[in-house]
Amino acid sequence: MSWFKRGSGPKSGATSARSSLRANSARSVNYSSSPLLASKTPPWRSRLLVAGVGLGFCILLGRALYIQVIGTDFFQKQGESRYAHALELPASRGRIIDRTGQVLAASVAVPSIWAIPKDVDASPQQRRELAKLLEITPQELDAKLATSPKFVWLRRQVDTQVAIQIKQLKLKGIFQEGEFKRKYPEGEAAAHVVGFTNIEERGQEGIELAFQKELQGRDGSRNVVKDRLGRVVEDIGERVPPSNGQDIDLSIDSKVQFFAYQRIRDAVAEHKAKAGSVVVLDVKTGEILALANFPSFNPSDRRNLSGNQLRNRALTDTFEPGSTMKPLIAALAMESGRVTPDSLIQTGDGKLNFAGSVISDTKPHGTLSVAQVIQQSSNIGVVKMAMQMQPREMHEMFTEVGLGQRPQIHFPGAVTGRLRPYKSWRPIEQATMAYGYGLSASLLQLARAYTVFGRDGELIPITMTKQPDNIDVAGVRVFSPKTAQAVRLMLQMAAGPGGTGPLAQTQGYSVGGKSGTAHKQEGKGYASHKYRSWFVGLAPISNPRLIVAVMVDEPTNGKYYGGLVAAPVFSQVVQQSLRLLGVPPDLEVKPQIVARQVETAQESFQ
Amino acid sequence: MTRLNVLLMAAVLLSGMYLVRTAYDSRRLFNEIDRAQNEARRLEIDLQRLQAERHAQATNLRVEQVARERLKMRPITPAITQSVTDARVASPTGGKS
Repeated sequence: MSWFKRGSGPKSGATSARSSLRANSARSVNYSSSPLLASKTPPWRSRLLVAGVGLGFCILLGRALYIQVIGTDFFQKQGESRYAHALELPASRGRIIDRTGQVLAASVAVPSIWAIPKDVDASPQQRRELAKLLEITPQELDAKLATSPKFVWLRRQVDTQVAIQIKQLKLKGIFQEGEFKRKYPEGEAAAHVVGFTNIEERGQEGIELAFQKELQGRDGSRNVVKDRLGRVVEDIGERVPPSNGQDIDLSIDSKVQFFAYQRIRDAVAEHKAKAGSVVVLDVKTGEILALANFPSFNPSDRRNLSGNQLRNRALTDTFEPGSTMKPLIAALAMESGRVTPDSLIQTGDGKLNFAGSVISDTKPHGTLSVAQVIQQSSNIGVVKMAMQMQPREMHEMFTEVGLGQRPQIHFPGAVTGRLRPYKSWRPIEQATMAYGYGLSASLLQLARAYTVFGRDGELIPITMTKQPDNIDVAGVRVFSPKTAQAVRLMLQMAAGPGGTGPLAQTQGYSVGGKSGTAHKQEGKGYASHKYRSWFVGLAPISNPRLIVAVMVDEPTNGKYYGGLVAAPVFSQVVQQSLRLLGVPPDLEVKPQIVARQVETAQESFQ
Repeated sequence: MTRLNVLLMAAVLLSGMYLVRTAYDSRRLFNEIDRAQNEARRLEIDLQRLQAERHAQATNLRVEQVARERLKMRPITPAITQSVTDARVASPTGGKS
């Protein structure tokens, strides 16, 4: 600035001339005298330039407006997706636990192997090793890799050891991902109760299906900023924590369950039967302590999750209950004051002509008291009691004890059974229903119906989930306590010497129960050599705690009476279950404890 | 005037450096927390797996087999059981001895 001032100062002519000369030499071009500028330019050129620049600014403004205002959401999203990543926080499925805390089903994290086939450049040798670890042939591996260029599961839910070995192969394009797998430690013993899930952990059967909503957790998520190395450096927005599924506490006692399963499995094998089921009910609370079926399946092994063994026969199969209905008829007859336990009934020579059909007993019984009718399981005796009643009374009683009603239980597949309306009953049907033909029920319904005898005439709801201790279950009164107690004594007689099921006896506990044997229905009639045998009973008689119902389908090894096939299973299950529950024996047992006399030092308590 | 400008310039530079430093630290620490949380989750999953394995080793089937075959035990029957009444329980509901 200062030199310019000095240079253009008007003080002395000589210096100014010299300095202007210097200035001229410094600026080699003199604009004012440039011939180029001297030429006249048309005015449209400058205007064009102004318009061009203006237009350029307008375009920039418009674009800015578009990006910042109109399309801002889209661009924000695009920008975010360049650095932000959504991470899923997987929730684990709840466990299924028995009443003692034993785990029946739990989810375990296991790796799954997947590949991007177009990135896989393994040598044939490496491929062979990989195939071996995946337990498939190299050809199968190649076929799998050929299905899609982008993504293919090689094997889902492998063992942790295998996953580590695969990682050590260090193959390009092969990846691992953590998944959850269901483990069922009790295996086939509790398979029908617990059920199973599919590979995506959705319940397919049993409790897994019934409580799918509760068991299933909700996955959480978080949005993060990742840096160049893939490390998480910042959280964006809110983080949704995963909520794990609830644990389900079942009423099942895994020891009782296991024992019941073992016994029914052995019985089915011994009698060469087709199938068998056991239900153990707690009379005090209505909880199902065990529900076992044979044939069963291993829910961890996905290869055989189909076919008949999946059927929870105790709930889904109905059958004609046969003689096990007789105590209900006797109870109804006593309740209505028609008979007392000591009333005599003439059963004659074991044949009774009734409405054109013949009702027969296994052998002639002559004159029996009502108690003996139940003890000896006389069809004629029961029919004579039943024919004094109105069909409506019988129908009401059957309905009240839950026959022909869908069991109120949170479990898939429970069936209703069949009980026709009484208005369409013919007299012969009323007679056959008295001894259990012409109506059908599942084993669970039958076991529940017997709670009326176990609880002094009350019917209680049954449940599969654990109830709080000392819960006071409200029942529905069907019979008076006096009637129920009288029937209990009859059941004890039936399971004792001279009854139809003496094999049901146990050591130390008084038991009572009714055996049943029925021809299986086939098409329109009854198959002559196909039977169902069962036994339903309670124990201990003085203060019932358990109801155990046993069913064996088509025993073909000579014996088929319920008292011979099913009663021994009942006996063993009752004995073990009562002991496991800590119920003290109510019968005197000859002790076999041999105490050895040993010199002991005086011990002081306290 | 000039001195103030220089001073402000220096202050801006320093605070800028400090910001960079803090941002770097916070990211580094966040990354550490994240890694620790991942480790915690992994350990929890491991715990679940090991618990499941323990349960698998203690199933009724296995316990029964070991008890019967290796330890030569046999089932309890009432004949070889002696019940005692707990004296501390006031009500005599303990059953017969």
